[in-house]
Amino acid sequence: MDFIVRFKTVVALFCFTIFCIVSLALKSSTFSLSFTGVGSAIISPFQKGYHSIEHGVHLFWAGFTELGEVRKELEQAQMRLQKLEGAAEEMAQIKNENAQLRNLIGMKPKVGYESIPATIISKDPDNWFRNILVNRGSDDGVKVGMPVISYNGDIKAIVGKVVGVRGSVSRVLPIVSSDMKSGVMMQDSRYPGLMTGYSANAALCKIDYISRSAQIKPGDMVITSGQGGIFPQGLLVGNVVKMISHKTSSFQQVIVKPIIDYDQLEQVFIIMTETDPAIKELLGETE
Amino acid sequence: MILAYIYTGAIIALSLVIQGNDSFDVIKVAGVKPDLLFIAIVYFGYTFGSFYGEVTGFIGGIFHDSISSYILGILTLPKVLIGFAIGFISRSLLRQNPLTVFILVFGASVVKGLITLMLCFAFHDAYISDIISIIIPESFYNAVLAPFIFMLFDKLYDHVIDRSGY
Repeated sequence: MDFIVRFKTVVALFCFTIFCIVSLALKSSTFSLSFTGVGSAIISPFQKGYHSIEHGVHLFWAGFTELGEVRKELEQAQMRLQKLEGAAEEMAQIKNENAQLRNLIGMKPKVGYESIPATIISKDPDNWFRNILVNRGSDDGVKVGMPVISYNGDIKAIVGKVVGVRGSVSRVLPIVSSDMKSGVMMQDSRYPGLMTGYSANAALCKIDYISRSAQIKPGDMVITSGQGGIFPQGLLVGNVVKMISHKTSSFQQVIVKPIIDYDQLEQVFIIMTETDPAIKELLGETE
Repeated sequence: MILAYIYTGAIIALSLVIQGNDSFDVIKVAGVKPDLLFIAIVYFGYTFGSFYGEVTGFIGGIFHDSISSYILGILTLPKVLIGFAIGFISRSLLRQNPLTVFILVFGASVVKGLITLMLCFAFHDAYISDIISIIIPESFYNAVLAPFIFMLFDKLYDHVIDRSGY
């Protein structure tokens, strides 16, 4: 006992280091699932408490800074609502007409998708990781692999995908994360590529494996290709910022600015489509 | 002494709220926010010794890891090691003045960043370019803020705790 008191600094350092190493090692071993489960159960109340404090601070702060802005937004929203009410009616007619025409030429009806709104509970508070925690989980039917979208004004674009689900919360991996890989293509030229987060700039993404022969210019729109089984085809991703070509490669890299700004994100929608189990198995994703 | 723990707890909570809350995104420079929790840990190690530094590093790091929802330990271990090392070396080598604090926090932030980068390589995913895009800007930002934060903490802890050292 005297030894522990006398060398408490070294003993504490040793214990803390061992704890961290064991935790890190377990995460990368087969025990990860159960350890993560126990860890989640312990830290979940803290995360909720943290969210309450954060939300309180946000409201307090917003009271000073956002009141005028909210008034202006309310007026704009009322005007938009009036416009949209008319548009919704028109849309229903077009949808009906489209279904009739599809039926006439013998095309399969297009599968629509349901989505549920979710609020962001927390974002990673450090500069290293970019996960988002949202307030919808397995209780709401959310499953691993479901795509997440959001709106920038009237434009709907992808945010990321669900990578972890608990009872009332889910973890979302955004497209700007270097862990995220998604199949995309150029909207005009239809050249496909593989998109990941761009490590040199946290707000951008890069697309690899785009053929050098593809004619791409800054401002071109990038959409999801539907390949990979996660995102439905045709969802907007972002605009091309620049192209990088290497003489030795038959491909070019394209840097993309996502339509949805990760830092401004507050509300998202989870698309309730399940990933094909075979693809899920191939990617090794588990709930 | 209880007051000191309350202050420390409040500082940890406030640092995490500032780092995680979107309302404080205005403090982002070159795409990064300062690691206020880390500045506090360096202060505790520097002023009160290795034990206080590493314990604050561990508790703060665990909370930081919890809300990061990543691997428990990846942000804690660098903070524990730096909390210990700062207390061990700085009291005997350096006297507190703004320039010293700037250099100390900049150096400590770079080392912390490099340890995190190595852990990311081993257990997650990382790129060498993170040195330019994350480590250097964050270290510089931490170092610029540190002299002011140290001054503030000095005033706060002036009457509540004895400076023990290692």
